[in-house]
Amino acid sequence: MPAAEFALPWKSQETQATMTQPVDDLDLIRRMQAGDDDAVRDLYAQYGQRLYAYALRLTDDPATAEDVTQNTLVTAWRTARTFRAEGRLIAWLLGIVHHTAMKSLRNRTNYLGDVAEETIREDQPSPEEQAQVKDERRWVRQGMQSLSPEHRAVLELIFYQELSLNEVAQVLNIPVGTVKSRLSYARTHLRGVLARTEER
Amino acid sequence: MNHEEQLIRYAAKQLNENERAEFENHLSGCSDCQADLTLWASVSSEINASDSAIAAPVHLADSALEAIHAPSKLTRAFKSTAQLLHMQLLLMHNELWVGSAALMFIFLAMALLVARVEVLHFFVPMIAAGMVTLIYGSEHDPATELTFATPISPWKILLARLTLVSAYNMFLALCATAALLLILPPQTLGELILGWLAPMTFLSALALLLSLWIGTSNALFISYTLWSAQYLALTSISEWFAFLTPWIESYRQFWNDPVLLFILGFALILFALWSVGREQVQWRRSIAL
Repeated sequence: MPAAEFALPWKSQETQATMTQPVDDLDLIRRMQAGDDDAVRDLYAQYGQRLYAYALRLTDDPATAEDVTQNTLVTAWRTARTFRAEGRLIAWLLGIVHHTAMKSLRNRTNYLGDVAEETIREDQPSPEEQAQVKDERRWVRQGMQSLSPEHRAVLELIFYQELSLNEVAQVLNIPVGTVKSRLSYARTHLRGVLARTEER
Repeated sequence: MNHEEQLIRYAAKQLNENERAEFENHLSGCSDCQADLTLWASVSSEINASDSAIAAPVHLADSALEAIHAPSKLTRAFKSTAQLLHMQLLLMHNELWVGSAALMFIFLAMALLVARVEVLHFFVPMIAAGMVTLIYGSEHDPATELTFATPISPWKILLARLTLVSAYNMFLALCATAALLLILPPQTLGELILGWLAPMTFLSALALLLSLWIGTSNALFISYTLWSAQYLALTSISEWFAFLTPWIESYRQFWNDPVLLFILGFALILFALWSVGREQVQWRRSIAL
């Protein structure tokens, strides 16, 4: 397939416009440091959707994702002085979301990722379901769900949050090499899910 | 940079123009990379489609601000403690405060008239012990049912009332002791306070525990008897009691050992706080029957 045919249609123009809207991150941080409540509202208006989406992706639970996002804003307010302008504000915020979500997941007795994985491996779908599984979005979704939160996080940070590999490493507090190995594992795993789906 | 990493960056639209053109040249002749690109395109499409459809709740910024400006745990604990003390103050009999003050005034006047500090040393612990026997339980507490119906633990209620009464008794005793300085030198103030502080603590704790177990009247009788027994001069009644003298002396020593009295007093208070929970369970069982 020629490269020119890859139109990369997965990002709508509207989404890209939202993502690339210029943000005065330093101004937000300065205002939070000065104790301006409106800075938290502006921060949420600017990044809230992305923070909440990431929290939801990690926790698979809207209520927990709300708690995580709210705690992230509180932490950002309280630690605004520690923000270094060396990196992007969104990467710093996503790092807080990740840390808070992982803490929340550790406290959860039922690990959703494992449940999803077992469901995919053991459940035999009906013929109708098998037909549906062939739908591209469905197998991708199932494949994503069967990945651990750590692997899902890497994909989410790269493809939705548009972070570089270095920024992903910073958010997850892991070496860049580990980010790459997680990507490699995710690719192998998703290929496996796709192959099993095609066999049915 | 290897092709796998470039492929990811290409799919995530993170390559610059030159890198992109270079990679597309490679891509056109590499079936493995094309297959992987299809995979990552599907993944990216799914992630973006599902994440873009997510609507973040609008209230989270305001909720976060509420959490940011919420009072600290220490402030909340201080406020709830003050509220509990105030509530218990309203529930307790007013006669307790007036009665104790009146008794303290009478015995202070007596001590001043006879110029004997022992009068105050004898009666201060008794007033305090008498007062604590009246702070909890159905016998003298009109709000027992209300108390048991509240979500506040009974031991917290008892501790709140004990704190109020003990602070009040301490205040009265300190005022009376200060008044004694009219007939005594100021440097004896510390000695005067130590004379009643430890016995008051132990006798009050004992009376409180007994009142919870066997009622106010019995508690008063036993604790007052034990307290008064140290002042018995049995040999003046008859020489037959001479053999008891060493025992009486040891008993007096016990009441004059402040460290021991404080330790035992606090232990009895802890025991009383623990046992009050059991009392509530028994009360609920009796209601159920």
